[in-house]
Amino acid sequence: MTIVFLTLSAITVLGALLAVTLRNLVHCLLALVLFFMGIAGHFFLLKADFLGAVQILIYIGAVAVLILFAIMLTRNISGTEGGRGSLGGAWWLGVGIATTLAGAMCVFVRRSDLVSKLPYGATEEGVVKEIGKLLVTDWVVPLEIMAVLLTAALIGAVVIALEEEKKR
Amino acid sequence: MDAIYKLIQHYAPKIPDLLALALAVLLPIAIVMGVFLTVFALLTWVERKALGRIQNRRGPNRVGPVGLFQPVADGLKLLTKEDIVPAAADKVVHFLAPVLTVVPAFMVLAVVPVAKGFVPVDLNIGVLFALAVSTGSVLALFMAGWASRNKFSLLGAMRSVAQVVSYEVPMVMAAVVILMAAGTLSSVGIVEAQRGLAGWFVFKPWGLVAFVIFQLCAMAEVARTPFDLPEAESEIVAGYHTEYSGFKFALFQMGEYVAAITMGGITVTMFLGGYLGPGSDLPKIGWLVSAGWFFAKLGIIVVINIWARGTWPRVRVDQLLGFAWKLLLPLALVNIVAMAIWHFASNKLVGWGASAVVLAVAIVALVKINTGQTFEKRSYRFIS
Amino acid sequence: MIGKGLMDGLVVTAKNFVGSYFDGNRKERLFTYQYPEERMPLPENSRTFPFLVYDGTPDQMRCTACKVCETECPPQCICIVMDRDANGKPLRRPTVFDIDTSVCMQCGICVEVCPFNAIKMDCDFERSQYARFDDLITHLPTLLKSNEYYHQIKSAEATRVDATRKPAKKPAAAPTPVKPVPTSTDMRTEDERQAWQRGYQGEVGAGEIVWPPVVLKKQSARTPLEQSVSSAPAANDVPWHDSGIELEKRMEMAKERPLADKLMAAMAQVDCQACGYDCRGYANALASGESKDYSRCAPGEEPTKNMLEKLMKEAGKI
Repeated sequence: MTIVFLTLSAITVLGALLAVTLRNLVHCLLALVLFFMGIAGHFFLLKADFLGAVQILIYIGAVAVLILFAIMLTRNISGTEGGRGSLGGAWWLGVGIATTLAGAMCVFVRRSDLVSKLPYGATEEGVVKEIGKLLVTDWVVPLEIMAVLLTAALIGAVVIALEEEKKR
Repeated sequence: MDAIYKLIQHYAPKIPDLLALALAVLLPIAIVMGVFLTVFALLTWVERKALGRIQNRRGPNRVGPVGLFQPVADGLKLLTKEDIVPAAADKVVHFLAPVLTVVPAFMVLAVVPVAKGFVPVDLNIGVLFALAVSTGSVLALFMAGWASRNKFSLLGAMRSVAQVVSYEVPMVMAAVVILMAAGTLSSVGIVEAQRGLAGWFVFKPWGLVAFVIFQLCAMAEVARTPFDLPEAESEIVAGYHTEYSGFKFALFQMGEYVAAITMGGITVTMFLGGYLGPGSDLPKIGWLVSAGWFFAKLGIIVVINIWARGTWPRVRVDQLLGFAWKLLLPLALVNIVAMAIWHFASNKLVGWGASAVVLAVAIVALVKINTGQTFEKRSYRFIS
Repeated sequence: MIGKGLMDGLVVTAKNFVGSYFDGNRKERLFTYQYPEERMPLPENSRTFPFLVYDGTPDQMRCTACKVCETECPPQCICIVMDRDANGKPLRRPTVFDIDTSVCMQCGICVEVCPFNAIKMDCDFERSQYARFDDLITHLPTLLKSNEYYHQIKSAEATRVDATRKPAKKPAAAPTPVKPVPTSTDMRTEDERQAWQRGYQGEVGAGEIVWPPVVLKKQSARTPLEQSVSSAPAANDVPWHDSGIELEKRMEMAKERPLADKLMAAMAQVDCQACGYDCRGYANALASGESKDYSRCAPGEEPTKNMLEKLMKEAGKI
């Protein structure tokens, strides 16, 4: 199990590092996908099959493709224009922010009672069911807020697209 | 997997534990790969033969009896062909793309219950896993198109990404109904939930609608005619695999066909009762009969695919996306409501009637909304 | 009803599929010809490469080596050498008849110009070879095909031709043994091949030529021909009797001669017998008034015809 964990972690870290260091944007994206895969693997390793599958479905199936579309709309995909290295001059700032964020998250996750509330230790069959139940009982307000937010974003996108249509 | 492990331990207790474990893991993989690769090879032959007959041609009939060895000849030919990589191509990505096309197609096979008691991995999130993994092919297609440094390839890749992302949504929504009915994500669980007379989900109003939606989306997902825009020969040469030759091209073909087969397998599992059928529960030979049932049902799906391919012309890009977002997605959402009505109905008859009425109204309304629209004459911004 | 078109399409294809297996007239349905086993009947006028027709046995070939086709062939792919007996007397048949199929453009002009219906277009299209240069030049034995074969491939045309032809002449009493003449395959070296090429275009002087056509032309200029056939009223030296010389020059040569010689000089000088005589004989016949039809010199075409007409008018023969 440790071997699998170490391999997965190595892949994940490698993917993350490549994603920020490679010059070619599409290569960066593929490295990012590798990173997502690594995370999904971790979920599977932790017996959180549902989260693993969702990770693949959403992050690789949707987020990566979204980024892909964004990249296709940019210039300088190959990273050959402009003299600046891929790691900017303020790289230490980024590292600092990332470390602080990660540390803060670690601290808060440890302190919160979220862990104890999760259906941890439930039977394999039960995980999905438990998540579903929690989502529509205890966490129904956040869920609905999220749904409203997404709907608003969707309508916003439609409105923007319609205006484009009118201008023509 | 566990069953095989137990069998090995039972019949050959002297085999070391690690070896038995390895066997238990590798044996199902070997069986599944072998069977489905054979099915793939046969399918290429069946498809060419059937398409030929549909067009009043004979189809391949030179290699072997009635051309049965045509796939072998094709494979040998593609193996011996020169592998050309464009000079400007992104070599690594160009190489990785065909490999990554095949991987998801085969990964989905892991959760398809082929026969009673035979599923390579009985994941408790089986269907979700299948749906998730099959999206991975999008990236492979995009990689292929982008790495080729060819405008046709890139166009094909962009089309395929737009198409797969669009059809993913109604597909999952259609699957949700089945998950609601079965109460489980496990593929075996879904099959077992369809026991009984006319127990297949396709025989229920919501099931039929979901089946049609899912089947159409599956066809779009694996880019088969009428949804084969990513590789539309008449428009963009061969789309994302324009710049591929030799065995890499063969891998693309293989990925596409295996994906079609596995999608068919998922459809059979979710709507047509999987391996269930008269005699599938018999002792001793039940596994054989059930495998027969599974492949017979898979054959029906394959025939539908080929028939559609031989009949319908390719849709336009705007029709393709409009169809997914304006018709299939709302219909799938209404279908969930219909499922809820069915679920909470006081008795079966009421549930049948109510959900059928809701769906019929929805279909009529959606079709009304979506038809009859005429397009203005198109004006181009950059061309006076 | 929405979707009716889609369903109709499915019905049509299903009918096709089932019909192609079970329909009574499925042979007509499946329009594919299983090529090596079954063949599509070729249209009457389809043509590939020329071939030579013979009546009866290959000895009785219709070709008289008149070289009209050789002169007319636009890409110059035909090479003809007339056969001769031991005395150098020309026999009315070719000993070499080569067609370079890599040059031939299958125009059929040779067929148009042939006065004897001897050369016709074939329909045989299966001429692929394993080696690159095999059989690019087709020789006489391969070119010769029977009249029956001609009937077989183009029956209507062959019947028409047979109707216009005079009954076949009796075969030559004793077929003289054919002199070994180098064929194009004997040209093994590149130099020889080039020499042939140049000689073929008539650009090379005497001496360096190994290929017969030009040599023969030289001979024909030196050797008086056909005394036996002609009842010669004029002198036997006929310096214009060489098809290589232009019409004007020939007329210049015969300026001081009597009418028969002038008429002969106007002929095409190939002794093809398309008119029913050799050149000398036809000239004599015209001069003596035995014949008044001056349009029968097929190889000479319009210029000869016009010249003959002029000469005949001047002499008051017509």
